[in-house]
Amino acid sequence: MKTTVRENRLLVVSDVHMGNRLHRTGRAFRDFVQFALDHRYSICINGDGIDLAQLSLSHLVSDLMPSLGLFLRFGENDLRIYYTVGNHDIALEHFLSDVGRMKVVPFITVKSGDQCIRVEHGHMYDNMFLRYPRIYFAFTWIGGLAILIGPRAYNALHRFNHGFVAFSEWVLSGFGLIKSRRPVKRIGGIEGERECFHAGAEATGLRGFDAVVFGHTHFPGSYMLTDGPRYYNTGVWFTNPHCVAIAEGRVWFGPVADLTTKGDPFPMTEDEVVESITGVFPVQHLGTARMSHVDHVAAVSR
Amino acid sequence: MKAFRQHEIESFADGEVIFTEGDTTSEMYVIRTGKVEISKQVGGHSIGLAVLDRGSFFGEMSLLEGLPRSATARAAGATELLVLRPGSLLLQIRRDPTFAFELLQQLSGRIRELNEKLIFRLATAEFGNRLARSAFMMSASAEYKSADERDETTATS
Repeated sequence: MKTTVRENRLLVVSDVHMGNRLHRTGRAFRDFVQFALDHRYSICINGDGIDLAQLSLSHLVSDLMPSLGLFLRFGENDLRIYYTVGNHDIALEHFLSDVGRMKVVPFITVKSGDQCIRVEHGHMYDNMFLRYPRIYFAFTWIGGLAILIGPRAYNALHRFNHGFVAFSEWVLSGFGLIKSRRPVKRIGGIEGERECFHAGAEATGLRGFDAVVFGHTHFPGSYMLTDGPRYYNTGVWFTNPHCVAIAEGRVWFGPVADLTTKGDPFPMTEDEVVESITGVFPVQHLGTARMSHVDHVAAVSR
Repeated sequence: MKAFRQHEIESFADGEVIFTEGDTTSEMYVIRTGKVEISKQVGGHSIGLAVLDRGSFFGEMSLLEGLPRSATARAAGATELLVLRPGSLLLQIRRDPTFAFELLQQLSGRIRELNEKLIFRLATAEFGNRLARSAFMMSASAEYKSADERDETTATS
């Protein structure tokens, strides 16, 4: 399993939650995948792509089928699909390997241009998930039941869960078990995101990454970490999905809708498109050595 | 913010020595920027073992085993390193569990590389042995033949 990859062009989204009853992502996700194909981007589904924890098979089929045919075309176009495992699809950890052009990984380090970008779902920094997995999964299971009742029940449970976690952390912080007492509102920080994710991003950023991309929290946003790396969270497809576009070391962050409606933030020239398909620059850009070789071949064939 | 500062970040200029073979320091380093050259003294000569890139780590053997440095590390270009001591290594793993995964991944890669080198050495040594054995057999058989010929000549004379 290779977790360090070189990708010149990559789109990162997270928390698509395909198969969740709460929301239908089929068409929007298909448009996104089509956009990636048209503009020659590999894609990374950064965790919780398929919602195995709150799965409805009929929803999964309607969400996944429109994109499935497009996925197959990634291979034909020499593009890759990375799938990092999240908490709602944690069963996929048993399948960490390359499945054709799809690479199932726990996280990836993307080298693009001179930039080094870390992409992971982020559930490994969730105190509740790490310390009390049974409570966490119980809430996820109850959440699945609430979805059956309706979106309102689910949202109410979600709010309760959020309050419960904040309360637990506050209580436990008294005993020094969890250091974060309350969500810290730092300048440029992401409103609503708990401190543990910030600590996780800081610890990861220390290792020399230029950017750290998480999902999981469902709060999209971006801000600068202590030692200079930038933190991005790509949010969730239930509300306003965001995306990180990486091209030759440049990074763009914004809503997926902007990407598909306003166009490619890093448009490619015709030559670059040819190069990305054939692996070489068009003939007029070849060096003299290569040209003389071509002439020689032509002379021999004559 | 103070908590994150428990980790030290050190900068080295091009060619500056980070640690020398035999040193008893026990820090482990993660390369934040730049490159690091690892070399070892063998028979009075310095042999380059590896050039490590950004994201790689080194010095873990002294940290984990408490033994003197087994090689020399030198900055190749301006280099910035994250310094991890035993306590801060555990803290880093606790805060960033994927670091442990990558640590194992890189160590596994290094063991695989060493195995391949060892197999190559053993195979070439085996080949050398076989070559020597064949040469010996050939020379022995030539001697035997010449002795036979000598015997035959003495017999006929």
